[in-house]
Amino acid sequence: MLDMWLHGIEGLLQFRELAFLALGMFIGLFFGAIPGLGGAAALALLMPLTYGLEPFTALALSGGVMGGVPMGGSITAILLNTPGSAPNAATAIDGYPLAQQGKAGLAIGAAASSNSIGGILGTVSVLAILPIAKNIVLLFGPPEFFLLALLGLVIVSTTSRGKLLRGLITGGFGLMVAFIGYNDVSGGERFTYGVEYLWDGVHLVPALIGLFAVAEMINLYVKGGSVANNAASVKITKMTSGLMQTFRHWPTVLRGSLIGTVVGAVPGVGGVVASFLSYSMTVQAAKEEDRDSFGKGNIKGVIAPEAAINAKDCSSLIPTLAFGIPGGVEMAVFMGILIVHGMQPGPLLLRDHQVEIYGLIWALTASCVLASFTGLLLVKPLSYVTLLDAQILAPLVLCVAFAGSYAIDMTIENVVVTAVFGVIGYLMVRFDYPRLTIVIALVLGASAERNFHQSMLMSDGKWSIYLNRPISAVLLAATIALLVIPVVRAMLSKASNRKILVEREAA
Amino acid sequence: MKRVLGTPVTDYMPALGLLTLTAIYLATAYQYSPDARAVPAGVAWVMLILISLDLVSRTRTKSGAALMHWLNPAGDADKQDAVKRYPVLKQLVAVAWIAGFAAAMLLIGILYAVPLYVFLSLLIQGRRPLLVCVGFAAGATLMIWLLFDIVLSLELYPGILFGGA
Repeated sequence: MLDMWLHGIEGLLQFRELAFLALGMFIGLFFGAIPGLGGAAALALLMPLTYGLEPFTALALSGGVMGGVPMGGSITAILLNTPGSAPNAATAIDGYPLAQQGKAGLAIGAAASSNSIGGILGTVSVLAILPIAKNIVLLFGPPEFFLLALLGLVIVSTTSRGKLLRGLITGGFGLMVAFIGYNDVSGGERFTYGVEYLWDGVHLVPALIGLFAVAEMINLYVKGGSVANNAASVKITKMTSGLMQTFRHWPTVLRGSLIGTVVGAVPGVGGVVASFLSYSMTVQAAKEEDRDSFGKGNIKGVIAPEAAINAKDCSSLIPTLAFGIPGGVEMAVFMGILIVHGMQPGPLLLRDHQVEIYGLIWALTASCVLASFTGLLLVKPLSYVTLLDAQILAPLVLCVAFAGSYAIDMTIENVVVTAVFGVIGYLMVRFDYPRLTIVIALVLGASAERNFHQSMLMSDGKWSIYLNRPISAVLLAATIALLVIPVVRAMLSKASNRKILVEREAA
Repeated sequence: MKRVLGTPVTDYMPALGLLTLTAIYLATAYQYSPDARAVPAGVAWVMLILISLDLVSRTRTKSGAALMHWLNPAGDADKQDAVKRYPVLKQLVAVAWIAGFAAAMLLIGILYAVPLYVFLSLLIQGRRPLLVCVGFAAGATLMIWLLFDIVLSLELYPGILFGGA
């Protein structure tokens, strides 16, 4: 095994491979920073260009792209509240408020270092898990996948501190939207109201661009001014302080990397769940007095999702390579590149192409670190973007966001989806509904429904299947506990209840 | 501003809108087979309960305050009063610009909509000098054209009026 690892490194340390790795990293950074493009688009566009390359070189290029995308996405998420790719939406929750406070450099520095560490920890996990991956994935069946989705929704709802009810409502709304389109359970279309475009459902990326980028631009239009409230502090931001924050909050990095690794290993769950789950768990784990600062510019809110995203990118190679089950859209496209180069994903791939696979893992890791350093170099000039006047910034961001939304699959209806979700996102901000749960629901809705039906088929319609299986029972208990505990805690706080009622009567 | 049960009418709007939307969704769900509607209908029923709770919690009554405190403490009435409110007209104008830009993309295509939107937005909303508006509009168009059409070789949508499907 060690022999193969070393051969993988040796193969990568050639001039041509390193050059393509660096090229891939820059392409990844660029695509990651543009809303609507992301890693899947970059890999899809590069796929034909890799025909003429050696398999190892093609994998170095792909690894470079995949490693660069998260850092590019986090830069725009922090500076403009415009996540370049969907998982970076979690970074924007605290990264953008930091940018507004003139601490963009601090946030990007922390994102860069947690990106690197997350990537390295993810690689270590992949190297350890790859040989035993099959046994872990087989522990989860449809009931567990269904309950995992439910648990994810509830965790995120409880994370929207003090907004459990509204978090559940937006989660429910997200699920309703996620059920639009072709239904593979009964084999027909639903809730499309005659719109052909909706047969494929509401596309996630245009919806996310709307919810975050467009909503924020509407907000900026209304508020006026610039992203950063404090021009003076933008200029004095130190890059190294962001780096140090990551090491200071090492438990957050470790937790995020672990969550990213576990989520990445489960096929079809993806980076959005990894980043939001990591963010949620960090909020849950924070001290009482620290929790209120999340969403207002807590650096741990940047570190947690960033560590998870890169760790997830590494570990999502496990189901893709070992079982031929892509961990997400990006991995599905990457599978195409593997096949183009004569490498059929599945157990045989690990036997027949070990050197290439380990080379890919090292390339991905190296790209994560390289992209972080490049991101750090760009901190200073990029920070000044936050000082641009809203009336100039908003039209430019909207042009890229709408054009990027169209470019996903060259469908103009994506632009309409982006605009509609932009207005929905703005209304959610205006009326104090959390946006986190809608994202998770959009991602997990369809698979949750499919797994629910499969569970019911497995048990002949008996709900007891969720109690009879140990992992299911634990997941169900955790979901109920998370729903009940905050409500009971609020009900039991008698003094606070009495105060509210007295105040209300006095009013 | 008109108030119902102590709360401004506009604060009920999102919940009422969502309630209507959910009712339509539920009615549509019942047109499908039992298998196809099982999960969507279940979610819609739960949503009706949750939205009703949200509506009650928004009233400034005893039960409303208690519900808000138990289920949504961040939305307590005193905290809501502290939220900065912007003029409705200003918000509508901002949304109208977005809708107008999307409609322009659909009608006249990306390459014409981008300069038109940037130019008008900077001129009317931003009150910038004419030359600045032209410069930014040309720059934005050049950036979109170079990036999507030239670098990525993606054919930009020509617009319904110019042969787009």
